[in-house]
Amino acid sequence: MRIKRHSTVLITIAAAVLLTTSGCSGGLLGGGESEGESAGPIKLAMVIPISGSSAPTGKYMENGAQLAINEINEDGGILDGRELELVVGDEACDPQQGVASANKAVSAGAVVSVGGYCSGATLPQLPIFEKAGIPMIIPAANSQDLVNQKLKNVFMINGTGKQQSTAALDFIKKQGFTTVALVDDNTSYSKDINVETAKQIEEDGSATVALSTSVTAGESDYSAVVRDIMNANPELVYWTGYYQEGGLIINQLKKAGFAGQIMVADGSVDPSLSEIAGAGAEGVYATMTQTPDTIEGAEDWIANYEEEFGSAPGPYSTQSYDAVRLAAEAIEQAGSTDGDKIIDALEAIDGFTMFSGPLKFTPEHTLSSGGFVILKIQDGTFVLEDDLS
Amino acid sequence: MMQLIWDGLFVGSFYALIALGYSMVYGIIKLLNFAHGDLYMLGAFIAFAVLSSLGGIPASLSIGALLVVLLLSMLLTGTAGVLIERFAYRPLRGAPRLAVLITAVGVSFSLEYGVAALAGPNPKAFPIRLEGEVFNLIGARVSLPQIVLMIIAGLLMIGLNSYIHNTSTGRAMRSIALDRNASLLMGINVNSVIARTFFIGSALAGAAGVMAGAYYGKIDFLMGFIIGLKAFTAAVIGGIGNIKGAMLGGLVLGFVEAFGAQWFGGQWRDVFAFAVLILFLTLRPTGILGERVTERV
Repeated sequence: MRIKRHSTVLITIAAAVLLTTSGCSGGLLGGGESEGESAGPIKLAMVIPISGSSAPTGKYMENGAQLAINEINEDGGILDGRELELVVGDEACDPQQGVASANKAVSAGAVVSVGGYCSGATLPQLPIFEKAGIPMIIPAANSQDLVNQKLKNVFMINGTGKQQSTAALDFIKKQGFTTVALVDDNTSYSKDINVETAKQIEEDGSATVALSTSVTAGESDYSAVVRDIMNANPELVYWTGYYQEGGLIINQLKKAGFAGQIMVADGSVDPSLSEIAGAGAEGVYATMTQTPDTIEGAEDWIANYEEEFGSAPGPYSTQSYDAVRLAAEAIEQAGSTDGDKIIDALEAIDGFTMFSGPLKFTPEHTLSSGGFVILKIQDGTFVLEDDLS
Repeated sequence: MMQLIWDGLFVGSFYALIALGYSMVYGIIKLLNFAHGDLYMLGAFIAFAVLSSLGGIPASLSIGALLVVLLLSMLLTGTAGVLIERFAYRPLRGAPRLAVLITAVGVSFSLEYGVAALAGPNPKAFPIRLEGEVFNLIGARVSLPQIVLMIIAGLLMIGLNSYIHNTSTGRAMRSIALDRNASLLMGINVNSVIARTFFIGSALAGAAGVMAGAYYGKIDFLMGFIIGLKAFTAAVIGGIGNIKGAMLGGLVLGFVEAFGAQWFGGQWRDVFAFAVLILFLTLRPTGILGERVTERV
C-alpha cells in the first residue's frame, strides 16, 4: 500500500514535469503547445537586482527596458505583429539567486536575455542561457570575465572593464597624476578594473601605481586601507568597487586628512554615494558610461520616461532601453525566434543607432568603443566633467 | 606607530562593547548567542527610525540628541534582547546546546531579514553625522567624535563592571554562572536574572550600533554580521564568559587588526585576525583571562 502510494506520487510528479517542460517553448503562461513558436508574445528575460543594495539601479533598468517594449508594441510589434513581453527575475547581486532566476526565465520561454547588472551574479548565468540556446545582450555588467569564455551567445553593450581602465588612464594622463592608488572590493567586476588599470598604467609608464589593494565589503571601518593610502601618499585614489563601501572610504579618507584626488568606477555612481560620504564627496571623479542626463539630445527621451514612470531615469536606463531595441532588431532581421539565427543577426549588425553611438560588435562581442566619460560630483550630484574625446 | 595604536584602540572599543554581551550570555547560560551582532544592527536602526521621525536636527544639538537617542535605543534593544530570550531561548533551556545554537542562528536571520523587510534592503545614511575637529596627539590623528565615543564606551564598561561587582543582582549573576541549581536553591530568581543579563548585553550592543551609525554614517541590515564574528573572536581571545576578558579581547583584536594590516597589507587584515582566533582556540582555548572562574558572569 505504502509503495503503491509512493509510485502514484512519482507518476504525478513526472507528469507535472513533462507538462511543464513541454509548455516551455511557448511559455508557461502563454497559451498551449500548438501556438508555441509562432504566435503569442515574444518573451525577453531580464535578470537584474530587484532586492539588495543595488535594487535602485535594477528599477532604472527595468523601466528603461519596459519603455522600449511599450514603444515597439505600440508600433505594431515585431515579426508581423507579435508583441514583446518582459520577464523580470531577481539576481540580488548574488550568484545563486542569479542562477535560480535565469533558470526560471528559461523555463518561462524567453528567447533573448536583456539583463545582467552585477558581473558576479551574471557570470554563472552564462552557461544556463548558453545551453538553452538563448542569446544574451548584457546592458550593464561589464567584467572582462563575461567575454573571456568566448561563448557565442554573449554580447555586451556596456563598455568592458578594460575600456573603463583605458578611460581612467586617459584621464590620469590628462590631469598629469603621477602616483595612483588602486583599491577594489574583491568582487569579479571590481578586481577586474583594478588589475587592468594597474597593467595599463605600468605599460604606459607616465604614472606609477603606488598601491594596489583590496578591502572586505560590508564593513564599516576601513581605517586599515586608509592608513595604507596615507602611507603611500598617492595623488589619486581610484576606487573600483560599489558605492556603499566607496562612500565610507571617501568619508574616512577625508577625515584622515587625505589631500589628493579621489576617483570611483561606475559601480559607485549612485546618488547614495554622496549621502554616505557626506561633504567629502564634493569633487570626487568617476569613470562612467553615458547616463541620460549626460547625453546630448536625450531630453525628449527623458521626458517620455518621466511621463511613463513618474520619476527620472537613472544609470543604465538607456543601456537597457537599447538592449531591448537591439534584441527586437535582431529578431526582426533573423525572421524568427531561433537562438542561432538571432546570434547571427546580432553579429551582422552594423551601424544600429544607440545612445552610445552606432553599434558594431567586435569579434569578441563587445562594443568597439566603450563610450566612457568622466563625471564629477558637484553639490552632491554627478555632472559631466570630461567626455574624453 | 601612534596612529596604529589609536586606530586599534578605537575599533577595539567597539569590539569590546559587543563582545561583552557575547561573553555575559555565554557565561550565564553557556549559549553562543549568534544573534548578538544583529542586536547591534537593531540598535542602529531603532536610532535611525527615531531620528528620522523627529526630522532635521540642528548640528549644535547633535551630541545631545545623540545621547538621548542612545539611551532610548539601548532601552528598546535591551527589551528586544529580553523578548528573544523569553520566546526563543528559555523554552529550550533544557534542550541540547546544539538545538539552542541553531535557534540563535535562526533568530539572527529573523532579525536581519525582518529589518530588511521593514526598512528596505538599501543602505541608509544615518541622520546625525558626528563631524568634529581633528588634532594631532603625539603623532596620531585624533578627532573629537572619536574621543567622545570612546569615553561613552569606557563609561558603559566601567558602569557594567561596578554593577556586576557591587550590586545584589550582579552577585546573583556571578553565582548563577558558577552553579545555576545551587543559586536556585539559595532563593535566587534565576529566570529574572538571566533576563536582566540579556537586557544589559543587548543594550550594550545597541549602544555600539548607534555609535557606529553616527560615526561612520551608513547603516544596513547586514551590518551586524561581520562585526558579530569579530566580537565573538574578541570574546574568545579574552576568555569567553569573562567580563574583563571581553574588554581586553576587544582591544587586543583591535591592535591585532591594525598591526596585521600594517605588516601584511590591508587585504590580509581579516585573514590575520581570524588566524589569531584559530591560534587561540588551539593553543589556549580559555583565552587570555580564562580559568579565573570566580569572575565569570
